[in-house]
Amino acid sequence: MSYKIPMGPYHPALEEPYKLDLICEGETVTDARLHIGFNFRGIEHLAETRNYIQVIALMERVCGICSNIHTLTLCQAMEGLTGQTPPPRAQYIRVIMAELERLHSHVLWAGIASKLMGFKTMFMTCFEIREKIMDVLAAISGNRVNYSMNRIGGVNRDISDPAVILAMVQQLEGEMMKTVIPIFTTSSTARSRCAGIGVLTAEKAISCGVVGPTARASGLGQDLRRAAPYAAYAELDFEVPVEKAGDVRARLFVRALEIIESCKILHQALTKMPPGEINTGEEKFKFVTGTATSRVEAPRGEVIYSVSWKEGSRNPNRVHVRTPTFANMPAVRWMVMGARLADTPLIQASIDPCYSCTDR
Amino acid sequence: MTLLDTLPQKLGSTEQWTESGGVHWLNPGPLSLHDLCMEMIAARARFITITAYQLPKDEGIGLEYHWDLAGQLLGFPFLLKANPGENPKIESIYNLTEAVDWVEREIHEEYAVDFTGRDYEPLLLREGDKLGVNLREIANICKPEPDAPGKEEVKK
Repeated sequence: MSYKIPMGPYHPALEEPYKLDLICEGETVTDARLHIGFNFRGIEHLAETRNYIQVIALMERVCGICSNIHTLTLCQAMEGLTGQTPPPRAQYIRVIMAELERLHSHVLWAGIASKLMGFKTMFMTCFEIREKIMDVLAAISGNRVNYSMNRIGGVNRDISDPAVILAMVQQLEGEMMKTVIPIFTTSSTARSRCAGIGVLTAEKAISCGVVGPTARASGLGQDLRRAAPYAAYAELDFEVPVEKAGDVRARLFVRALEIIESCKILHQALTKMPPGEINTGEEKFKFVTGTATSRVEAPRGEVIYSVSWKEGSRNPNRVHVRTPTFANMPAVRWMVMGARLADTPLIQASIDPCYSCTDR
Repeated sequence: MTLLDTLPQKLGSTEQWTESGGVHWLNPGPLSLHDLCMEMIAARARFITITAYQLPKDEGIGLEYHWDLAGQLLGFPFLLKANPGENPKIESIYNLTEAVDWVEREIHEEYAVDFTGRDYEPLLLREGDKLGVNLREIANICKPEPDAPGKEEVKK
């Protein structure tokens, strides 16, 4: 006999409000239905009522974890409509902020995944490291969450002493190489809890259009930093980790390897950062009529902004955001099918979902 | 010749790609959305999203279908017009790519576009909520009235 177990929208196993209706036979999940919209704020419509300065501050608040990515993508799109090209130093600062944010997001996720594995000491370790990453972000921007770094034509703040930031990053890297990376790549606890569960095959990953680490853990080597480089990524050397198993352990593995690659990128960006201006110096912008689209590889995967403007207007006509969790979340249905009920919290968390982003 | 060069011919289109705002655009002309989607899947393109926007006055709804082909962003614009009192309609491609599921459902709720040939469940809105929350005619209802309570009253 099958029965339905509602999980959420407020549930100890969920990071944020959404609802999973799990159809079970015994302890086995046979199907699932997902419900979102509990955080729907109508931000896309609100953006049409804000001018080109205010809209940056608004879109930074789409997400608390990848706030910098949202302003980066939006500013890149608006630069396409104003003819602004950020100076090279600004492009490097954008990379540094984006990679620090990736570290922040991946370590935060690793902590939550550890908690769901029942590995609570690792949760503490991850959150301690996360605090230190936020210290680095605060040292650059003055803020721990909404950094206000991006603007049309560059960035708002310089990194006046990259050597200090590099020393902080090296210390962080040392800590992560001793704790997060070995535990997530070799520990038998992580392996036994994550291997073989929540499998998303490559075929299903293509069909569902999943992005980011979720796609790369199913064997799809897509990464916009490599496929369609933006900011200064074309000048930096890094690998795109890909795993084929498609299970929770593969997602764990990909993110652990991405932490190493992010540190590699940060090293290069902080040492190669060219001198010069950090923005074009323009304060007032004239937009051409039309639509510009920009894509960025956020920690959870591809973010796309499509921005429309009418010449002479201070407000956008339309700001459309497609966030990575919006693309990844429907695939959770296929991941939990056939899984044990007790594994579903870890499986749904393995895509690193963000409902603030998804609902907008 | 790249796949991008041969694609218009494969699609049976006489139009050429134009690059604008970071997107390679191709006007689909008389090509059906269904056929376009089939060709994109055959070309191993990845569906990304649909951007919907309301055109001025009663000019209708614009839909831009975005696909990724080996890192290149492709866009196909469609214009939907509806008779007064009816929702604009376009065929659903959910039967061809399930990646479009939530995207179509969201546009259905925000712009009251009917994607024909599929069923809907509420996505961002709840059952009974009014469709078209991003449409000017409905969204403007939410703007504060001139005699709406001021900040002092809200503080209470």
